[in-house]
Amino acid sequence: MTHSDIRKPFPWHILVFLGPGLLIYLTVSVYPLLDTLRLGFFSEDESGATFFVGMQNYANLLFSEVWSEPFWNALKNNLMFFVIHMLLQNPIGLLLALLLSSPRLRLSGTYRTLLFMPTMLSVVIVGFVWQLLLSPLWGISEDFMYNIGLGDYFDAWLGKEGTALVTLSLISVWQFVGIPMMLIYAALLNIPEDLNDAGVVDGANSWQIFWNIKLPLLLPTISMVSILTFVANFNAFELIYAVKGALAGPNFSTDIMGTLFYRTFFGFQLQQGSPTMGAAVATLMFLIILIGVAIYLFFVQRRIQRFQL
Amino acid sequence: MADVQLKQIKKSYGQVNVLHGIDLDIKHGEFVVLVGASGCGKSTLLRLIAGLEDISGGELLIDNKVVNHQPPAKRGIAMVFQSYALYPHMSVFKNMAFGLKISGKDKNFVREKVEHAAKILQIDHLLERLPRELSGGQRQRVAIGRAIVRDPNVFLFDEPLSNLDAALRVQTRVEIGKLHKDLDATIIYVTHDQVEAMTLGDKIVVMNKGRVEQCGSPLELYRHPRTQFVAGFIGSPKMNFMKGKVSVKTEGSIYVKLADGVEVEARVESGAIAVGEEVTVGVRPEHLQESLHGEGRLKGKINLVEHLGEVSYIYMTLTDGSEVVVRGDGETEVKVGEEIYADYQPQNVHVFNAQGLAFKRLTAAEADAPAAAMIRQAAGGNT
Amino acid sequence: MLNKMTLTMPWSGMNKLTLKPDLGKKLMVHAVLLTYTVIALFPILVILINSFKTRKAIFNDPLGLPDASSFTLVGFEEVLARSSFDVFFFNSLIVTVLSLFFVLLFGAMAAWALTEYRFRGALFIAALFAMGIMIPIRLGTVSILQLMVDLDLVNTRTSLVLVYIAQGLPLAVYILSEFIRTIPKELKEAARCDNVSEYKIFFQIVLPLIRPAMATVAVFTMIPIWNDLWFPLILAPGESTQTITLGVQQFIGQFVTDWNAVLSSLTLAIAPVLVLYLVFSRQLIRGLTAGAVK
Repeated sequence: MTHSDIRKPFPWHILVFLGPGLLIYLTVSVYPLLDTLRLGFFSEDESGATFFVGMQNYANLLFSEVWSEPFWNALKNNLMFFVIHMLLQNPIGLLLALLLSSPRLRLSGTYRTLLFMPTMLSVVIVGFVWQLLLSPLWGISEDFMYNIGLGDYFDAWLGKEGTALVTLSLISVWQFVGIPMMLIYAALLNIPEDLNDAGVVDGANSWQIFWNIKLPLLLPTISMVSILTFVANFNAFELIYAVKGALAGPNFSTDIMGTLFYRTFFGFQLQQGSPTMGAAVATLMFLIILIGVAIYLFFVQRRIQRFQL
Repeated sequence: MADVQLKQIKKSYGQVNVLHGIDLDIKHGEFVVLVGASGCGKSTLLRLIAGLEDISGGELLIDNKVVNHQPPAKRGIAMVFQSYALYPHMSVFKNMAFGLKISGKDKNFVREKVEHAAKILQIDHLLERLPRELSGGQRQRVAIGRAIVRDPNVFLFDEPLSNLDAALRVQTRVEIGKLHKDLDATIIYVTHDQVEAMTLGDKIVVMNKGRVEQCGSPLELYRHPRTQFVAGFIGSPKMNFMKGKVSVKTEGSIYVKLADGVEVEARVESGAIAVGEEVTVGVRPEHLQESLHGEGRLKGKINLVEHLGEVSYIYMTLTDGSEVVVRGDGETEVKVGEEIYADYQPQNVHVFNAQGLAFKRLTAAEADAPAAAMIRQAAGGNT
Repeated sequence: MLNKMTLTMPWSGMNKLTLKPDLGKKLMVHAVLLTYTVIALFPILVILINSFKTRKAIFNDPLGLPDASSFTLVGFEEVLARSSFDVFFFNSLIVTVLSLFFVLLFGAMAAWALTEYRFRGALFIAALFAMGIMIPIRLGTVSILQLMVDLDLVNTRTSLVLVYIAQGLPLAVYILSEFIRTIPKELKEAARCDNVSEYKIFFQIVLPLIRPAMATVAVFTMIPIWNDLWFPLILAPGESTQTITLGVQQFIGQFVTDWNAVLSSLTLAIAPVLVLYLVFSRQLIRGLTAGAVK
């Protein structure tokens, strides 16, 4: 070709292809994120003018009397929220996926569609739905529990400090169990049937085949689902906001990082909203998520090899 | 001793019958090849024997015990899968040891077993590798090794060579044959490749549409195919078929008139044949000889000549319109477009009735008995 | 014992014998799946059913289907009268469709540029996009709001579309890059030999080829946008720009005690998604599982 004797023209086409996407991504995502990290080191006065305060915001959040209690409370609640998801959402998703993938299962397509339905709905809508269902005013759940002989155990779970967070976590699990189910189901379908047969010929029973053959091959998917859950959980907001409002009651017992961020940024009741303090909370959320992702990338993913099937 | 007996084995999926009553008798130490086109039910039959699928009807006996309801591991079988089905997350050692470990065998025993099998297969240096770090041929050996350590009475092979390249396939084929002798085990082997079947099997079972077409030694199938399907399936290139009508019938010989009036002589048991019956005549390419002159022989025009060195295959259209292949001399000079004759010996001609069933061909000795007697006579006269 | 039994059994009887353990197992599987299906559907059905009932019937017989005496549309009438559900719905639709279109277009273009051409900084840009898969865009909300104020885009659908494009691009670029890499070189080289322009190669050869991957990206992009509350709440809370999710949230906040209206508004929010989902579930699930589910 004649490229060597003509000077290469500027590769305009690269700019045209990459330009629009990159521009939007940089201005609306990367720049705001970096700017947020910067803002975390600033404070503002009445007029809205900002000035540099170094680590003061973080010191306040972590240690001061006013800020540290809500912060640690939200972090603790958020961890709880995540642990409940890990303990229930993934195992239930795994179980459903295993059942769905049983050979020659009739109606498996129908089950798949219906089981995934709640995942499609908006978190806000789901929050309201359950709020109504669990409401002692309406009494659907109460009647139901009386019918199965557990009536005495019914309580206004969403309204009690001790049970509100767990209940909300369970609602979230109810909604999102479809995601691990679907991803693990897809991974299961990619495991060749011959491996199962080889296990049977080798004398392994269903449990041994699951434990020794399928589960190791599913680990990459399960760990990916786990990190997705982690990021989503530490980024959650809608469910609590819809059901409990920005105050995440009762008495902040359902407050998680997302709602704390929102309150800090926009203010509530008597407290003024503060963009810089909000930015500091967002920065801490960023760090938490970063640590989680780093653990996943450097420890979990590296140890678990992806096996070519 | 591990005889395998199948009595009227049936398999159906809902309303669809896949196997319609298979009877087979396999003696201990036999190498039996199930062969047939894809979808004929051979793999299903193997999976029924393995216990991977339920038998819908009939009885399966291994070692004289009915095993219809025994799980695979209790049947004394081991299986080598087409895809090898090696556990991708386990080392070669663990792959081979898995079955023994599951059955709770002692660790040292397992190690000994695996190392012994690995030595036989010359994969003892690969024991710590993962399957993905192995070549296709090595994976194949691991799959066989996994079967060997179980000390099975019966080995089941499901198209084990189909994922190997041509050269490796020949080599592995030879090794499997050797392994059979060393292990003194019964082997049931599924393939769609008739060359594999011919070279490996003590006994070949040709299957078609869920039924056994014929069962016998490779030579038996080659010499006396019982049906037109078997005749076409065994042998390469395929047997040539021509349609015609029986015109003359004598004791031990018939003449079949093709569409163009040419008559073909065949030495078959003629008792059940009626003059005027529509039949199909079959001659293998290796039983046709090219010839430039001839009368009353098959005549045709050459479409293509393949020179393979030691032989040539001449593809031609006969005057009656049928396409045939002739195995010619390796250095034949015939050209495309030329008209030549194809010569044959009447005792090499197969005849099939309208249902595709063969009339028993008289063997060379039987067919030539009168001629031989004459020659002997003539020879005797000379001395 | 089993062996002896089978020997004396007629074929039909044997069939049943072989089926039995299997049948029990199958029933168990169905029992568990059915139970969970009920758990998944029951709450939604209860809401849908009761939105068509009178207030009295909602409380007296919450599980009963609406009949002649209890059927009413009063809740829906109230919702439609007191809020602009049609506007909310239209807002959601236009924001989702526009965002989806640009995510797919810009995402595919960027993925193409990053995988096809070698240029300085390509690796850095790819890494930058990859970061966005894991780091939620929400964390930058403080500055995004400031940015939208500066651009005078607060309370516009444009602000939402911009944010959602930025939110969807990282995953789109990642998935589409993986896919573009599998396109055989020969196809592009053959086109270049014919002097086809780079633009034509992309739009006429590459884009049609990556359609299956586009479906996957569409699923992952669309659902979070439609269901989002955070950005509508912060960037476009005005009456005329509210999306359906925000609209329902605000409406319910206002009319908490009007059960008919609350149930009806939930139904109005659920029904379109449900219908669309049931129509497209096969394609959607196939996209979600990247083709593993046929």
